[in-house]
Amino acid sequence: MSTAPHILEIRAATVPDRLHDLSLQLPRGSLVGLVGPNGSGKSTLLQVAAGLLPAPGAVRWDGRAIDSIPMVERGRMTTWVPQEARFEFGFSVRSVVAQGRFAHGDDDHGVDEALGRLDLGGLATRPVNQLSGGERQRVLLARALATQAPLQLWDEPLAPLDVRHALDVLVLARELTRSRGATVVISLHDLRVAHCLDALVVLRGGRLRAAGRPGDVLTPELLLDVFGVKARTAPGLVLELP
Amino acid sequence: MSRAAARWALPAVCAVLAILVVAALAVGDLWLSPARIWAGLWRQDELAATILWHIRVPRLCVAMLVGAALGASGLIMQAYFRNSLASPGLLGVSSGGAAGAVVAIAAGWATVSFLLMPVAAIVGSFAATIAVILLARRGASTERLLLAGIALNALLGAVTSYVLTSSVLTYERNAQILFWLLGGLEDRTWEHVAMAAPIVLLAGVLWPLGRPMDLLSLGSQEAQSLGVDVVRLRRVLLGLATVLTALATSVAGTVGFVGLVVPHLLRLMFGPEHRRLVPLSLVGGAAFVLACDLIARSGGGLRLGIVTSLVGGPFFLWLLRRQV
Repeated sequence: MSTAPHILEIRAATVPDRLHDLSLQLPRGSLVGLVGPNGSGKSTLLQVAAGLLPAPGAVRWDGRAIDSIPMVERGRMTTWVPQEARFEFGFSVRSVVAQGRFAHGDDDHGVDEALGRLDLGGLATRPVNQLSGGERQRVLLARALATQAPLQLWDEPLAPLDVRHALDVLVLARELTRSRGATVVISLHDLRVAHCLDALVVLRGGRLRAAGRPGDVLTPELLLDVFGVKARTAPGLVLELP
Repeated sequence: MSRAAARWALPAVCAVLAILVVAALAVGDLWLSPARIWAGLWRQDELAATILWHIRVPRLCVAMLVGAALGASGLIMQAYFRNSLASPGLLGVSSGGAAGAVVAIAAGWATVSFLLMPVAAIVGSFAATIAVILLARRGASTERLLLAGIALNALLGAVTSYVLTSSVLTYERNAQILFWLLGGLEDRTWEHVAMAAPIVLLAGVLWPLGRPMDLLSLGSQEAQSLGVDVVRLRRVLLGLATVLTALATSVAGTVGFVGLVVPHLLRLMFGPEHRRLVPLSLVGGAAFVLACDLIARSGGGLRLGIVTSLVGGPFFLWLLRRQV
């Protein structure tokens, strides 16, 4: 176990036209939300953090510069879930989830558990290219879960999910931070779930606008400035898991 | 698909190949019984030995190597472009190899050394591959790939036509090029077997890449995030697909649709896992070309390229219809 204080550290990352001089540090074991208007750089930031977009020298995992980490080891340290799941070939749901164990020598460890956790037990033998959008998203999340990586980067995982499964995924993310000490970063649009998170990172125009505890960050001034909306608290429908 | 069926897939395809091998050695102007084939192979039967060692065995070897190369090349391209309609023929990589080889024949290099023709084919194929990569950089949708293939096939066809119509060539050399372009296995010698032999080596390089190909075929960024060295893998795969196609083209001319039909059929029958599909495509490709060549030989005057197109064309149309 490494003793570096931060699981993820980004220093002055720049991606032309998309991200400008962005620095960020995330501690171990926290559930972090990434918000911002469309085109503010959320997906780009997650890809940079996952080491999928070149940003030389800018990204460190667990105190190590990722350029110095061998590819297979990278697969064990961090996993990234794309915004949209597209499958050309009809792999079975189970075999896609089992791909999460590639960096562990395809040992199949925890695959069935991940399937069960994402409510995919009944779909295990179905071809992934015949699933609905929400089901495909859950397959990718199950694959990410199977990697058991301590840094999980999920790009808008809640968007295609029904309300029940969305809450379930939030609970899952929370469990990962508590029981395994993982850090889960979720980009999202629905600010109403912000209260479940440990920290919130706000982007605007490819720059870091604010970061901190959700209650401190989501002020009416910031919402008006970043999203152009007026915020007001009113009684409304509250949905929770039974 | 059940696990039992998965376990029997490769032995089953190998058995089909073995039957076709015996048939390919037996069928011809002079019909040879299995006993006579055995005697001929051990040179106990003079006539059978001559027919087998000079005509049928080299032709058999070339057919199997070409089929394995094109089957594997199609499988690689489909995984690489994440599109089950990608194949060396449709993308113009075969035409690139053909154009390179035609230039080599026309310039007379092919008579200097028999190694120059595959080299020229490899250069031509790489030119086509690089063009496809540049055109498909922004996403390899079916439309984009097929349109890029149409453009490249036309362009490289023009190169071939120019060489054919330029007045420098003798009539005989022209006829030789045309005959070769149609794709066929007539008069293959041990020299051709030697030219295609590196295919075995390349198949060995491809063999262990099935598992990372699974991950790549579902998205390159996803694969990288799961621990695949995507940059290196893509480079190796593209090199393999291109050289395999070029070698096949340089010994047998343009043999269409093998790279499309074989991986596709195998995927329909045995599922999409590349760990299984890599060996299956190699063996299945060999069996498919051997079967088509048997039809061509017994069809009197038909050539291999014609038969594979007669089988592959309708199959391709059926696939397009299924995709829509």
